[in-house]
Amino acid sequence: MPEEADWPRLTDQEVVLLARGGREAAYRELVRRYERPVFALVYRMVRDRELAEDLAQETFVKALNAIDSYRPEFKFSSWIFKIANNAAIDHLRRRELDTLSLDGSPHAETPEAMQATALQIGARQESPLDAVEARELGGAIEAAIGRLRPEYRSCILLRHVEGRAYEEIAEILDLPLGTVKTYIHRARNELRLALAHLKE
Amino acid sequence: MTQAPGPHLLPDDVEHWLSDTLDAERTRHLDLCPECFERAQVEREIVEQLAALPPMRPSAAFADRVMASVTVVRPRLFSTRRSIALAASLALAILGSMAASIAWTMANPDVLASLGSWVVAQGTQAGWLALRGLASNFIEQPWYESARALAGNPGRLAAAVGVATLAYLSGVFALRRLLVLPTQQVANVG
Repeated sequence: MPEEADWPRLTDQEVVLLARGGREAAYRELVRRYERPVFALVYRMVRDRELAEDLAQETFVKALNAIDSYRPEFKFSSWIFKIANNAAIDHLRRRELDTLSLDGSPHAETPEAMQATALQIGARQESPLDAVEARELGGAIEAAIGRLRPEYRSCILLRHVEGRAYEEIAEILDLPLGTVKTYIHRARNELRLALAHLKE
Repeated sequence: MTQAPGPHLLPDDVEHWLSDTLDAERTRHLDLCPECFERAQVEREIVEQLAALPPMRPSAAFADRVMASVTVVRPRLFSTRRSIALAASLALAILGSMAASIAWTMANPDVLASLGSWVVAQGTQAGWLALRGLASNFIEQPWYESARALAGNPGRLAAAVGVATLAYLSGVFALRRLLVLPTQQVANVG
């Protein structure tokens, strides 16, 4: 059994093996290694600190409680980022549904019936809390990232903020390699256009 | 003015340029094409800005909150279906053989009694034979008469036992001294 000082020398796979052997310190080590990048990814995806902490916590609890189902032939980082990204995307989809303007019941047969069953919910307004968080995230680039499509956002954050390889991003997001490259290129293009006014 | 060779840079070329793996021909195009160079420079600036984003950390109690919700798995002896099946088969085999043994014993007490008598008789006979062989062997030894004479004189027997005990204790003491690990530090030289 390694001493406390040996943790940095162990690979993720070795730490996972110790966790599977019932060592609580190994669980803590996995949290220590990934709390920052997982939180950063989720925070920049959802742009809400409290929510990001909840989603990051949900990510770790889900991953560590299912540590026996982790397959060591894959990178642990890919596995945990995949869970984190799915949690963030699921949340964004739910939030999008909450703010969606529906055209009425699909069973409505007349325009009047459609009008009567239509559910109109206004677009999400920026609350004072949002404004504080926007300031914390700071900078035009953070704001521009926040306006990207969630898929582009995941790709660009994993590639250029977390420094993950294209192949790993493809594995994390379950996307073909070519699609990942296209998304990253388009995301950079959108960022370029969004930041163009700053150069003028 | 020199014409830039080949077509304008594709997204993949920009990707290679950003990771310093763009081939020489495309690099030459980039050097000579202001349009491509400006585009690539803007992309590099964006990449640099993204890489320079401030690190984000969750609150200090984050790890404790996670650990409070995690169930640390303790490895159990019978944690898989296969190991449970193996253990069950083994237990079944042991219990089955014990039950069969008890049933046979109860059904055949005469056979068991005669078998027991035969085993005891054979064992006793073998024991006596071994003892007699050992005694004959002992008597035929060249030192037997001297040992017998020593045993006949209590004073000489006591002296011999004393010498043997002393020799044994000296041996044990010497062995312990030899086996003690050195604990003193070696003095620094120079």
